[in-house]
Amino acid sequence: MQRNIRSGVTFGIIAGFMTFIFGGWSVAIIGVLYGVGLGLSLGGRLKREAPLGMASQALPTAASAGGVLLVMSLIQNYIVAPAIGQFPADPSVVIPANLAGVLGGFIFTLITVALHGLPEKQERMGKLILLAVIVVAFPFVDTFARLNWLAQFIFALIFVILGMGLNIVVGYAGLLDLGYAAFFAIGAYTTGIFSSPQHNIYLNFWLVIWIAAAMAATFGLILGAPTLPLRGDYLAIVTLGFGEIIPVVFRNLTDVTIQDPLTCWIIPGITRLFGGQSGMACITLLSHMDVTAGERGINPIGRPYLPIIGMFTNAQPIPWYFLIIAIILLTIFLVNRLRASRLGRAWMAIREDQLAASQMGIDPVRTKLLAFAMGATFSGFAGAFYAAYISGIFPDVFDFSASILILCTVILGGMGNIYGVIVGGLVLLTADRLFLPALKDFLSGLLNHTVLPALASNPTLRAAVAQNANPILYRYLLFGLTLVIMMAVRPEGLIPSAQRRMELHEADEVPNAAASTSMKS
Amino acid sequence: MLELKDVHTYYGNIHALKGISLNVEKGEIVTLIGSNGAGKSTTLRTIQGINRPRSGTILLEGEELEKLPPHEIAIRGVAQSPEGRMIFPRMTVMENLEMGAYARKDKTGMSDDLERVFKLFPRLKERIGQKGGTLSGGEQQMLAMGRALMARPRILLLDEPSMGLSPILVELIFEIIQTINKEGTTILLVEQNALMALSIANRGYVIQTGEIVLSDTAPRLKENEMVRKSYLGIE
Repeated sequence: MQRNIRSGVTFGIIAGFMTFIFGGWSVAIIGVLYGVGLGLSLGGRLKREAPLGMASQALPTAASAGGVLLVMSLIQNYIVAPAIGQFPADPSVVIPANLAGVLGGFIFTLITVALHGLPEKQERMGKLILLAVIVVAFPFVDTFARLNWLAQFIFALIFVILGMGLNIVVGYAGLLDLGYAAFFAIGAYTTGIFSSPQHNIYLNFWLVIWIAAAMAATFGLILGAPTLPLRGDYLAIVTLGFGEIIPVVFRNLTDVTIQDPLTCWIIPGITRLFGGQSGMACITLLSHMDVTAGERGINPIGRPYLPIIGMFTNAQPIPWYFLIIAIILLTIFLVNRLRASRLGRAWMAIREDQLAASQMGIDPVRTKLLAFAMGATFSGFAGAFYAAYISGIFPDVFDFSASILILCTVILGGMGNIYGVIVGGLVLLTADRLFLPALKDFLSGLLNHTVLPALASNPTLRAAVAQNANPILYRYLLFGLTLVIMMAVRPEGLIPSAQRRMELHEADEVPNAAASTSMKS
Repeated sequence: MLELKDVHTYYGNIHALKGISLNVEKGEIVTLIGSNGAGKSTTLRTIQGINRPRSGTILLEGEELEKLPPHEIAIRGVAQSPEGRMIFPRMTVMENLEMGAYARKDKTGMSDDLERVFKLFPRLKERIGQKGGTLSGGEQQMLAMGRALMARPRILLLDEPSMGLSPILVELIFEIIQTINKEGTTILLVEQNALMALSIANRGYVIQTGEIVLSDTAPRLKENEMVRKSYLGIE
């Protein structure tokens, strides 16, 4: 019981600190999210009984968490907010926001815990419905509460798709790919080329997204082929090379001239050899064509259009949000089908032991190529969406750090487990896109009202403090730290696949453990 | 059924197989005996396509195997229970057995074959949900053989099935090999334990430093003086 209260207080304090940093209405969303999180962690621990009984068991924990959050959000409103220079709390916001957060957290904790009391099938159904409600309600709450998280959150969702795609290559087939952003770039540039004024081609987005996926898959095959005889480290190095080459190519495809070799060199060359003059005109297929516009990037890129909703725009992120959710659902469906298919089993076998797999009749070449192609397909979707969403593409978005970021989401979440990868992508990218900027505002607000005025006499120091108190500058340091800590504490990721866990904790396993115990997994 | 004609295999510059010729008839158990480093495993690896012969032909019912990649050879009905077992350590027993049937086109007989494997190796049925890597050595051997049988092979290559097993388990495994053979699977058995191998085989070949030095029926090999001295340890 004490342990449950303690975890309730911990959740409350974490949620409280989040409201310190995000401020305003954020407490409403944070409340609901911590409620679900607390409910999930609590639900598995409590004694199983009927839903109402479960809820009443969770009552003290939920109440303690809610109480902590209430206190902390009041501190936020009346102490922290003034300290960082925000307007004094307005009761017409404070009261409903805190009420929504505290009550929302309380109620959602109880609901989530109560779900654990249902029969297994209904429990899963209930969790899915809960998730669906949150996913659907989130953008409307976001708009209503003027948090403006949605536009940034959509980037996190793009990386979720990328993570799921890379997971096929790294997690399922066991091929370490350090240049995955190249396929993302190919998807995005395909969209840019086929749907922008750059070439005066304006294909429909709903068509282009498939072309982008097909193009990415094709390049997956092309780039996969030379890596096939390689294993382990060598494979990683080659993919790293591809990841570097592709953005450079896009940066430099600004002046492309293609001449027909037959009429321009071969026939004139032969006639010259015999001292004659070729009367034949050289056929130029492409003359000084600017394919990618180099550093300037391709801009603007065509956007999707749907009846009723109309053209998707910058100002209105909600349609984009539901579009990317739809793509994610499609990706989850396809990846799950792939995993369970013959091909999926072949990937697992190759990952385990390539030689043994080939003796089972699995063609390693075909299997690996398909892993690259399938993995690339999803980054093609993500690339097309990305290009349309920001309506412009620039080569430096797709550099090495993007590949590493995607790889980090896979490792953080749990290699080989699609749901782990989703969580990993959400955690890492919301930290990057939402938390760090908010933290920056929070810190600079705090400094502006405390330390900086005191430093007025020393302008150099003042400027140095003001400049360096920006957590966004340290984002890669923070990612690195996160990874190091993860690897030390929980190398299998947040939500690991059963096989990975096994791999990393082999030493802990008792050989010959009774069959009955392992049947469960 | 399986015929090797003057097969030469190299590891870099090392001439490992110096013209191996042997044949296995349908329904037979043929054993290949020899000491460490004689080329027994290399012969099997060459049949499997893992090592490529520099010259010579390997025929499976008249079809040339020597230029095919390993997975194509597996699809044509050559299954093996390799030395060191090479099971998939992180897959369960059931998943390992399913992988064995990967290349099969007919999925209908799969549950029958599964039943057959479990009848041969009741231990595997007890361990069905356990990860391959956590099995004992003997169980891994059983799993490797069971997995090979799931492919319903035309010919089964067994590489040192007795390696690292207790005497009781060795006897059990050899009994099972005989049962498998009686049920109609042709077997090429590579063994260091010559006595056991010769007692269940129809015919045998003796391999020494990459060459076949002797071939005869198993009972006659058992009586052969050279074999008795070198491999059976009988003066």
